[in-house]
Amino acid sequence: MGLERADDAGVYKVTDDIAIIQTVDFFTPIVDDPYWFGQIAAANALSDVYAMGGVPKTAMNLVAFPLDDMDMSILREIMQGGLDKMKEADVVLVGGHSVKDKELKYGLSVTGFVHPDHIFTKNDLKDGDQLILTKPLGTGIINTAIKGGLASNEVIERITGIMAALNREAAEAMKSVSPTLSGNNSVHACTDITGFGLLGHLAEMVVDSGLGVRLLADKIPVLSETFKYAGMGLVPAGAKKNMEFREAMVEFSPSVDDLLKDILFDPQTSGGLLICVDKEKADELVDELRKRGVETRAIIGEVSSQYAERILVD
Amino acid sequence: MKEIDARGLACPGPVLQTKVAIEEESLRDIKIIVDNEAAKQNVCRFLESKGFEASAEEDRGNFYVMGKRGEDVSFQKAKEQKEEAEQKKIMVMVATDRLGHGNDELGLKLMISFITTLKEMGLELWRLVFVNNGVKLTIEGSKVLPVLGEYEKEGLHILVCGTCLTYFDLLDKKRVGETTNMLDIVTAMQLADKVINI
Repeated sequence: MGLERADDAGVYKVTDDIAIIQTVDFFTPIVDDPYWFGQIAAANALSDVYAMGGVPKTAMNLVAFPLDDMDMSILREIMQGGLDKMKEADVVLVGGHSVKDKELKYGLSVTGFVHPDHIFTKNDLKDGDQLILTKPLGTGIINTAIKGGLASNEVIERITGIMAALNREAAEAMKSVSPTLSGNNSVHACTDITGFGLLGHLAEMVVDSGLGVRLLADKIPVLSETFKYAGMGLVPAGAKKNMEFREAMVEFSPSVDDLLKDILFDPQTSGGLLICVDKEKADELVDELRKRGVETRAIIGEVSSQYAERILVD
Repeated sequence: MKEIDARGLACPGPVLQTKVAIEEESLRDIKIIVDNEAAKQNVCRFLESKGFEASAEEDRGNFYVMGKRGEDVSFQKAKEQKEEAEQKKIMVMVATDRLGHGNDELGLKLMISFITTLKEMGLELWRLVFVNNGVKLTIEGSKVLPVLGEYEKEGLHILVCGTCLTYFDLLDKKRVGETTNMLDIVTAMQLADKVINI
């Protein structure tokens, strides 16, 4: 995979049957509980491999830790969380590296396998494709509320579970409806929603494709409470930056709520997959997601040649 | 007037500083200086969500956000109303006078303990509804009558199915709660955030 077009991870073809996928991701704590922070950071790092249709195999820990100010037991808990998530994903931890730093950071470098003819990239959209999102939006805004001490325990618990959930089942569902190893894949593109927000990542898919997208505002799953916190001004700076960067590509219909605009650009932590699937196969994919226990499986819009390289939010 | 200089802070920093300031003391006027459009928008939104009228002026790259609010009393009231609206509503529907299946004696003991422990839900416990055999818990001689009486005194709405009381011929033995009908029960289910069936 070249560098001309942004994609989720690096891919290197080893043989005709195997390519390796490599990716790395780490960040500062988003929840107070160290164990769950470890789980979330690991799920987030593994996600890029799933988004490309690969299977993660090995990982290494990346740790920055303020040894002077924090107890080692915190680090142990974080790493335990990460390790448990790797076990869940059948990933082997093969090493790692840690440095002393003022600010705590944790994440993984991950290596996965994929068949070279079965890689899901970001930009092979086809006219009429349906867009399916597999986790609700709002984690950036809710994390901001958590930092401000404004989020209820119930909300914290719920989004922790969502952020720590692997995208594995969603990826398996995607592969099962698109089993062809060459040519006729019915899933045409996929990415995972993270720092650029839904519209930021969607814009990356649309750029240079010659096609556009129409999103249906009322079909987009949003975590309850997100609107409340967005209405209180708890929108992270990243959301505004994402908006400034991609605003020119997006057209909002007048009925779209201003708060929803922020939410659609809200940077997500360990967000869901955004899958672009042949219209004929969309229902089958939704059904497959349901069978595999993926709670959120919303058809949020469709690809259309009517809006060349633009996104309409209706 | 309280003034906060929140320049150089990334979102949600300015909002959080504003939050601390208005929580510390009961302010009528507040001024927050920020240095970017996003922070201006967020601070305005926050002030409005807290009952202030917000306005902003730009001067050489700085934004001066002004917040004003009227009488504290009305603000307090609005806040209370809002909190009440935001309070979770739990509806517990009891359709039996025994908890669980198996031994009846144990079932009755568990039911007494269940009703007595329900108060731990606190203010979120919003409706307690008795239907079918459950209505027998509300009649003369019921072991949980004193507890239910307490709940009612504390303002909990206890609803008892009228059709069921009639069926068992217990209408005039009921000692606690309001007699209700299916429409009220269904409406309550719709309004509740959570319905627990026993």
